[in-house]
Amino acid sequence: MTTRLFDHVRIVTAGVMLVGTCLTSAGAVAQETIRVGAPLPLTGPLSPEGIKQKRGYDLWAKTVNEAGGITVGEDTYEVEIIYVDYESNTPRAVQSAERLITEDEVNFLFSPFGSGAAKAASSVSERYRIPTIAATASSEQVYDQGYKFLFGTFTPNSTLTDPLAEIVAGSSEDIQTVAIYARNDLFPLAIAEEMRISANEKGYEIVAFDEYSIGTVDHASTLTLMRRSQPDWIFATGYINDLILIRQQMTDLGVEPKVLTMIAGPAYKEFIEATGSAAENVSSAAWWHPAVSYEGEGIFGATSDYVAAFEAEYGSLPDYAEASASAAGVILQLAIEESGSIDPEAVRDTLTQMDATTFYGPIRFGETGQITSLEPPVFQIQGGAPVVIYPEAVKQADMLYGDIQ
Amino acid sequence: MLYIQILLNGLMLGGLYACIAVGFSLVWGVLNVINIMHGSFVVLGSYIAYFAYVHLGVHPFFSIVLSGGALFVLGYALQAGLINRVVGAPVLTTLVLTFGLDLLLNNAMLLAFSADYRTVRLENPFGSLIVADLVIPLNRLYGMLLAGALTALLYMVLVRSRMGRAIVAVRMDSEAAALMGVNVKRIFALTFGIGALMAGAAGSLLSLIFPISPIASTDFLGIAFVVCVLGGLGSIAGAMVGGLALGVIQSFGALFIGPQHGLTIAFILLIILLIFKPTGIMGRRGYE
Amino acid sequence: MTRVVSVLIGIALVACLPVLGDNYLLRLGTMFAMYAALALSWNIIGGFAGYPSFATAAFFGLGAYTGAILQGTGVSMFIAWAGAGLVACGFAALLGMAILHLKGHYFAIASLVVAEVLLEVATSWTSVTGGGMGLNLPVLQISVEAQARLFFYAMLTIAVLALGMNWLVANGKLGFALRCIRQNEDASSMVGIDTTFYKVTGFALSAVFVGSAGAIYASWVFYIEPADVFSVLTSVKPIVMVLLGGAGTVLGPVIGAFVFIVMEELVWRNFLSFHAAVLGLLIVGLIFFVPNGILGLLRRRWTSGSRPQSSEENVE
Repeated sequence: MTTRLFDHVRIVTAGVMLVGTCLTSAGAVAQETIRVGAPLPLTGPLSPEGIKQKRGYDLWAKTVNEAGGITVGEDTYEVEIIYVDYESNTPRAVQSAERLITEDEVNFLFSPFGSGAAKAASSVSERYRIPTIAATASSEQVYDQGYKFLFGTFTPNSTLTDPLAEIVAGSSEDIQTVAIYARNDLFPLAIAEEMRISANEKGYEIVAFDEYSIGTVDHASTLTLMRRSQPDWIFATGYINDLILIRQQMTDLGVEPKVLTMIAGPAYKEFIEATGSAAENVSSAAWWHPAVSYEGEGIFGATSDYVAAFEAEYGSLPDYAEASASAAGVILQLAIEESGSIDPEAVRDTLTQMDATTFYGPIRFGETGQITSLEPPVFQIQGGAPVVIYPEAVKQADMLYGDIQ
Repeated sequence: MLYIQILLNGLMLGGLYACIAVGFSLVWGVLNVINIMHGSFVVLGSYIAYFAYVHLGVHPFFSIVLSGGALFVLGYALQAGLINRVVGAPVLTTLVLTFGLDLLLNNAMLLAFSADYRTVRLENPFGSLIVADLVIPLNRLYGMLLAGALTALLYMVLVRSRMGRAIVAVRMDSEAAALMGVNVKRIFALTFGIGALMAGAAGSLLSLIFPISPIASTDFLGIAFVVCVLGGLGSIAGAMVGGLALGVIQSFGALFIGPQHGLTIAFILLIILLIFKPTGIMGRRGYE
Repeated sequence: MTRVVSVLIGIALVACLPVLGDNYLLRLGTMFAMYAALALSWNIIGGFAGYPSFATAAFFGLGAYTGAILQGTGVSMFIAWAGAGLVACGFAALLGMAILHLKGHYFAIASLVVAEVLLEVATSWTSVTGGGMGLNLPVLQISVEAQARLFFYAMLTIAVLALGMNWLVANGKLGFALRCIRQNEDASSMVGIDTTFYKVTGFALSAVFVGSAGAIYASWVFYIEPADVFSVLTSVKPIVMVLLGGAGTVLGPVIGAFVFIVMEELVWRNFLSFHAAVLGLLIVGLIFFVPNGILGLLRRRWTSGSRPQSSEENVE
């Protein structure tokens, strides 16, 4: 009988020891480095996005360290980014954030990908009062919990849809009706709602507002209806696989609006590669584009310098997600250098007051922590590559209408 | 007119659904094993077609042979090597085993191919046929016809060949079949291999129609499930009927109730059927 | 008696975890308690009765949303958690009456699909559940340490209650009936056991603590989305844990949950790109080498040969 008892005790103790050893193997942390935690979806459905963010962060860290590190008062610190893969699973993202803060003792945090996970993880970083920068979270709902330590590099979704609506309204084309087709997910739905508002303001008639569930493999029914109602403007949101499929099915079923706007696929070269000639004249908007031109403070200098550095490192042009991740690093660095310390409270206060220009654009944060100073470019795919239509300062071409096959 | 278009959409979609599901149904009906890897098999077939096209210029419709062959070997090996050991085991064991194997396979594909979505873009796309205001995308039409042909071929094999009759015998009563001299273990392996073959072939067909990524495997698995329950297990006609039915129901459902409920419709249907007629439209019969 | 004592000691030891002062360890402990509760709950319908239920995710998500919605109307956390458990229980009873006549694979699929349907409902019913944009919960204004402790003890309580329930069921009439059903349902009903009643009761009981755990989870993370709380993994992991520990035993699920959580954490830390594959390997290994769970292995070693199994032990 007693052997049973001892066996139980042995098992429990062994377990505790096992857990203890692997957890304490993190070891002590020497402070000549600034540690930034970056939970990312490196596997699972969101991994393409996670890898983009990682590229942006890595480029920043590498550039900073090669230049000697971040200057804090009289010392220079190296930057170390600690990655954790949360497997595209939001609860794991939250767990990762806590692990990075308590086990790896990071000084700062970069948010997980997307609005949902960023919001969930922000509850952890807020509790520990760790300044957190979200590089890919645009929905205002992410920032609506009154948190003080969360900052975001994407402006609210309306800043994408308003300029679009304005441009189309200002054209001489006869465009009256809009059909909106959105994926039922935090970001795609939120931006579709913003489009509805922007379009209403400009006096368009919204003939349809449909949502499709995550995992939909066929859009034929809605597209068939669109073929009959023939809206002038179709606005579709989703992730890249959804948009590729929708574009293809539009071609198959002969849906040919005068304007086709998709968010957020066309910004990525993968979209253009997958759709080929069907990508022509698809319009979109994003928070940044390689063609914008800002003279930057910060480690990368001007936009063109950043683009060159990115191309040298990865062999392709950066898209807005990659640039935003690098920008998050630059912003953090500027805040640290300006406050002259790595104390979280001091850095956080500096961030709220920040007024700088970087390769990514002007940086000023609003009350909720979301950036308010960007002018997201509108672009269109012409001749197989994206060209900027707006803002005026960096415009490369006029918007083309019609000719969507 | 609108309804006819929707019906056509549904039928074409349904033909593809049937192709995805027929292998799954066969394995489930004959071995009583739910193969969670089925979705990943389809995706693997798509990748084979994709790389065959990009590197060798082989048209996806022809690489059916390639994907089918490769997946058959994989399936046979897996069954003979691993799954055969748990064929008699409780439902949970086989489910958890194939779930674990699927984790392995899917992760391997993710590492090898990355999660980026790819599509096969033909040099000369098929375009669409326009008949009196009805639009028929040709890639889907051909896909559906080829899927039908493959399924019919499978049916022929099952009805005519010795091996096919052995499979049917095992499905009806494996003990009796063993008594008649059938090597049941080998038939199991063969059946699983054929199931994988059909999945791979479906993947080839689908590579022209759906974007390819390891992430899509769960979508395909879900479709296979619903089709099997709808149509009845282990029967080819059942898979065909179930697939077509699901395609049409989803198409009309999206029209009347809204596209965001496309999946919900399928699942509610599934539950209702399970509660009232679990053996599906065609029942367990199908070969006789 | 010694077993009861050693279990109580074990619980007491685990309850002392906050003493170590490591919040991350406490988070792991909370996850362990949560999964232990899920595994123990599943054990009732899956282990004792032998019905392969994949409905755990459905109950968990239902509990999470119920708790979140209740808290949104101003109800206190603790009442919300209890309410969630009751709602899950009621739902399971109704669901059970609808699908428990199915066997084997069909039952498995039906239970799995329920979670999918609930997920779609949660995604569509935006006015109540926030739809695809998720639901916020009130943020607690207490310190990080206090929060970590609060949720740890809450989950631990649920786990202990679930353990107690398992023990009561195992030693009572319900457990006896469920085991009979598992061995041969037709014979059981011929002998006079009201199989429907016992199955539905077992199913309903298997939902109570899962629902509460879901609500506690929602309060813990302050924000839930349909895809997080209705994830199929929430159904699969407890099953693997119970199989790992020993299905149909009282302690098996707890041991399985513990070992699984440790393994998962080790794998996650050390195999950045292929942890899913390693998990898959572990599961496959489990099926082949430890088919009766850890408790089954241990029992085999201790009672090798002569001693007959006593009636409360694992029935293979």
